[in-house]
Amino acid sequence: MGVTVLQPYPMPENKSGAHIIDYLSKRLLSLGATHAGQFLVDCETFISSPQPHNGTPGRAVHVLHNSEYPASTFSIMDSGTGKQVSLVADSIFDLLMLKMTNTFTSKKQTKIESRGARFEYGDFVIKLGSVTMMEHFKGILIEIEYKSCMILAYCWEMIREMLQGFLNINVGKDFPSYFAPQTIMTPMGQQQMHAKHNDMYEPTDTVKQYLEQFTNYRKHVSMHGGLGGQQQQPVHMSPSPVMGAAGGLGMIRP
Amino acid sequence: MAAVSSARESLSHALNNRYLPNLEYLLQGSILDSAVEHLMHRLKGLCDNVDTSPETFHDLEVCMSLRQPNSNQPLMLRVRRALGRDVPFQMRYLGQPEVDQRRPTLVRSCMDCACSSSILEFLTEMGFRLEFEYIAKGYMFRKGRMKITVSKLIKIVPGKQQDMANEPISQSYIVELSVVAPTGQENVGEEMRVFAEQLKPLVQLEKIDYKRLGSMP
Repeated sequence: MGVTVLQPYPMPENKSGAHIIDYLSKRLLSLGATHAGQFLVDCETFISSPQPHNGTPGRAVHVLHNSEYPASTFSIMDSGTGKQVSLVADSIFDLLMLKMTNTFTSKKQTKIESRGARFEYGDFVIKLGSVTMMEHFKGILIEIEYKSCMILAYCWEMIREMLQGFLNINVGKDFPSYFAPQTIMTPMGQQQMHAKHNDMYEPTDTVKQYLEQFTNYRKHVSMHGGLGGQQQQPVHMSPSPVMGAAGGLGMIRP
Repeated sequence: MAAVSSARESLSHALNNRYLPNLEYLLQGSILDSAVEHLMHRLKGLCDNVDTSPETFHDLEVCMSLRQPNSNQPLMLRVRRALGRDVPFQMRYLGQPEVDQRRPTLVRSCMDCACSSSILEFLTEMGFRLEFEYIAKGYMFRKGRMKITVSKLIKIVPGKQQDMANEPISQSYIVELSVVAPTGQENVGEEMRVFAEQLKPLVQLEKIDYKRLGSMP
């Protein structure tokens, strides 16, 4: 297990998801990577019911699975106030969540997953994922893991070089948004900048990155996913309600 | 390449093929402090895991409950952690005991889940509240698929250090014989009853009727 970075792939206008995956797979195989199975990361969200009346968002429990860790279930609780508590448990945790359907109902229509092929290339594991929500294609997420290192700050430049090499896109010099320095409260009550890129990497970090990306897809933010997720191309400003009508892996441009 | 199966699929496969342990069979009894050594000797003679001295444990168990809007019964979950060892926390769901007079043991649905240490904060954020907590300290024996624990329950005194606040609830040890098995296994109760016979008259292991006790299981 090593540092893992998620890179959304900017979808060009006239190409379908399947075509892009095919193109990227060919590039990887010609580099010398070997196809090593499939992978699946899925996310189901449970919302607390009844909804609070005063307009504050209810609590949400996101339950994610990662086929890289098949015996575990990851769970992130969003208290609505910005606080997130994460949990790693055995797979039987899913059965326990089913017991709580009175208080937490599953929003089936927001079930989202990233599924695709897994490649091994030396010390890297690269996964090309097609993100689908209720059978509708949303985008492409590339997951790249550098197995020999546990701290992003030591290997970010190499991961970036690798990504730029086979994806043929420009990857920004700054750390990905998940690893950007954040302000946290110390136990003494002071605010402090915390550099996440210097922390030891954990499997929960992979899952949290997926949740961040899935949340973006669910909100219909920029179809391209953006490099770093911040910029929106002018052409794609309009949220496309027709996305759902696409069906299959084709995409409709407004 | 074969598609990878989702976690849901492997879980329902385990349930349907009956290899997910989800039923607990339980017999309980107690023995005075003065007599517990005799019981330990007898268990050492009967049980499997006694190559070295008997296995000890020192656990803190916390019971959390969640009020559900559509039912009177709150949902109870227990979280158990080992004090003094760096191992995952254990979360346990226990259902209502099955009412069946013919069964020699108490039977109830049981789900055990190992989890990371953030479980208590996670449950609190979900809305669970603390019902009760206690410390259990004692010995664990194994015979085949049966687990026998001989433990002392210790009350947690708020404000005092755990080492110093050694306030046992009673002057006896609680003895529990349990098996967690998948549904459909038939001989478990009988196997347990036969083993319990071998511990008489030191300790009478029997099926406790919780409804008669009038309090929570």
